[in-house]
Amino acid sequence: MTKCHCRNPLKPYPATIVKIIDETPDVKTFQMVFDDPEVMENFRQKPGQVAQLSVFGVGEATISITSSPTRKGILEFSVKKVGMLTSALHRLEPGNKVGIRGPYGNHFPYEVMKGKDLLFIGGGIGLAPLRALIDFVLAEENRRDYGKVDIIYGARSMDDLCFKYDILDRWPQMPGTTVYTTIDRTEPGWEGHVGFVPAYLEEINPSPENKYAITCGPPIMIKFVLQALEKMGFSDDQVITTLELKMKCGIGKCGRCNIGSKYVCLDGPVFYLSQLKQLPPEF
Amino acid sequence: MEAYTISRDNLRTWLDTLARDYTLIAPVREEETVSLFKPVRGFAEINLGYTNSTVSPKGWLFPQTEEMFFFSTSDGQITLADAQTPGPAVLFGLRPCDIKGILALDPVFNGAYQDCYYQKRRQDTILVGLSCTRVERHCFCTSMGGGPTDGEGADLLLTEMDDGYGIEVLTPRGEELVNRYQQYFDADRENRVIPAREELGKKLARQFTRNVDTTGVKEFLDQHFELPYWGELARRCLGCGICTYICPTCHCFDIFDQSPDGESGVRSRCWDSCMFSHFTRMAGGHNPRPTQKERVRNRFLHKLKYHRDRYNLDGCVGCGRCVTRCPVNIDIRQIIADLQEVARHD
Ligand SMILES: Cc1cc2nc3c(=O)[nH]c(=O)nc-3n(C[C@H](O)[C@H](O)[C@H](O)COP(=O)(O)OP(=O)(O)OC[C@H]3O[C@@H](n4cnc5c(N)ncnc54)[C@H](O)[C@@H]3O)c2cc1C
Ligand code: SF4
Ligand code: SF4
Ligand code: FES
Repeated sequence: MTKCHCRNPLKPYPATIVKIIDETPDVKTFQMVFDDPEVMENFRQKPGQVAQLSVFGVGEATISITSSPTRKGILEFSVKKVGMLTSALHRLEPGNKVGIRGPYGNHFPYEVMKGKDLLFIGGGIGLAPLRALIDFVLAEENRRDYGKVDIIYGARSMDDLCFKYDILDRWPQMPGTTVYTTIDRTEPGWEGHVGFVPAYLEEINPSPENKYAITCGPPIMIKFVLQALEKMGFSDDQVITTLELKMKCGIGKCGRCNIGSKYVCLDGPVFYLSQLKQLPPEF
Repeated sequence: MEAYTISRDNLRTWLDTLARDYTLIAPVREEETVSLFKPVRGFAEINLGYTNSTVSPKGWLFPQTEEMFFFSTSDGQITLADAQTPGPAVLFGLRPCDIKGILALDPVFNGAYQDCYYQKRRQDTILVGLSCTRVERHCFCTSMGGGPTDGEGADLLLTEMDDGYGIEVLTPRGEELVNRYQQYFDADRENRVIPAREELGKKLARQFTRNVDTTGVKEFLDQHFELPYWGELARRCLGCGICTYICPTCHCFDIFDQSPDGESGVRSRCWDSCMFSHFTRMAGGHNPRPTQKERVRNRFLHKLKYHRDRYNLDGCVGCGRCVTRCPVNIDIRQIIADLQEVARHD
């Protein structure tokens, strides 16, 4: 019997909310810092990984770490209010305590992506995991490792766009970066594109050459985006997406997040389309 | 390794002593039809004549409800305190299939992330096996690579003999336990113990009413996910989840907080079941396994394929509990046979 020398992986580390950004009527971004500076220093997430967030007395939820690891000393989570835990989080204020454990799961293959152009396609809160990779790639120390960065992002309405400060202000200023933003229906004050993300993608019609496409969003959007990419000639190994399944333990014990023999918490959430096609259709 | 014998009188005294020195977990007859493993104060409470406990003994290592840690929030600070762990224990009288069940749980709770709760209990618990003396109608351990007198995984294995019990020492930990209570044991000078167990094993092997052949089933399932067969099975399944609660290899759990005053409380985990509809239902209502068909398929694929894919071990040890207890007679032995049949016509 192997002795257990680890720190208990099911026990979260106390952390403090330092800032809350209202993104949309039901999405908030929380900036958090571990109470123990050593824990903060040793928490080494990779883009695409998730954490289990605790509101003590309420429970836990799986949330993508949306800040890039190149941003030290702070973690960001963007949370959509949908149920018990996420509503409890939304009621908290700066200074309140939470728990964080992780990082869990695999990550975007940023090593393999070196030297390639990157096409990000996000919808709604689905931009949250992509943002970790976008900011990682655009960080000064990594930027020259990657080619052109295109970001296609859409939401139902202007109000529903997350990370407006990134998509409208910051990212378009970055070298070699183009941001295409769209909303479902036209609105006063909106001068950008109108229409669904998959349709916009087809309009832009990016070439698959030397490129990876990384997508995340509501299941229906992902479905049509994958079809569009296929039509444009992207191979299944050039397309990467993340899967969302109900998770509890995050570490392959509770048996909840399996798709066939794989666990999303260990083998995912990031999958190549070629891998996805090997899995039973239970997601 | 060494073998010993122990007289019935000495067994009684030894168990009374063990119950004083350790937490002794043993099979207890609770009611007419429900037998289970729980802490006992001595020999008098133990039922050594049971064949298969209604609820598997996995609950000692992985309790049905387990407190993980306590939290309290005061002065804007969070303090977390570990729940107490039970300390040195002897899990006594385990049938061979249930020991194999523990071996099937081990790799789940081990691995890159160690489950401290399970690991602590596992390290602190000595496993004492007990060869079967009867084969029940629903037993099929021999079909799943086990046998009614297999000691694999136990620290000590007891086998009933005419004049008491034979004890085989299977691990150094078992040896330590025997050494500690040497006064109760006699060395097996005539080498009777192993032949007696083997003889019993042969006798019992002939008593199985149903053997199933699992050859090729996993390979067939590797190739076939969609089968109309799962829909047929699911029409009968009530989704009651009994099969998963009593199974020695099922390990799914939920995690939940309780905090009566909103300031302090406890985080616990409790057994959960893939047979329940909410198990995979996500915020927003999307459910990747929306009907009982997907859930039944998941359970049996877990037993016959997924566990093997991940851990190279069968997810079923042939204890027959789910066969006995399923209110609508869904029988994993029949499923294996049916899958063989479907495979033949493929
Ligand atoms: C890999 C991964 C990454 C994720 N990343 C993010 C992220 O970055 N940001 C984010 O916001 N989310 C993310 N999620 C989703 C997030 O984990 C869930 O939204 C969250 O767990 C919901 O928790 P909750 O306690 O608030 O909801 P719960 O209270 O657990 O609610 C969920 C369940 O209860 C039901 N339910 C709850 N409320 C209602 C209601 N009012 N009416 C009907 N049914 C209801 C739902 O159907 C569902 O079954 C991610 C999930 C995964 C798996
Ligand atoms: S699946 Fe049924 S027969 Fe197999 S180990 Fe579990 S309860 Fe026993
Ligand atoms: S015990 Fe039988 S009816 Fe109940 S969930 Fe299991 S298979 Fe279905
Ligand atoms: S979340 Fe528990 S197994 Fe994946």
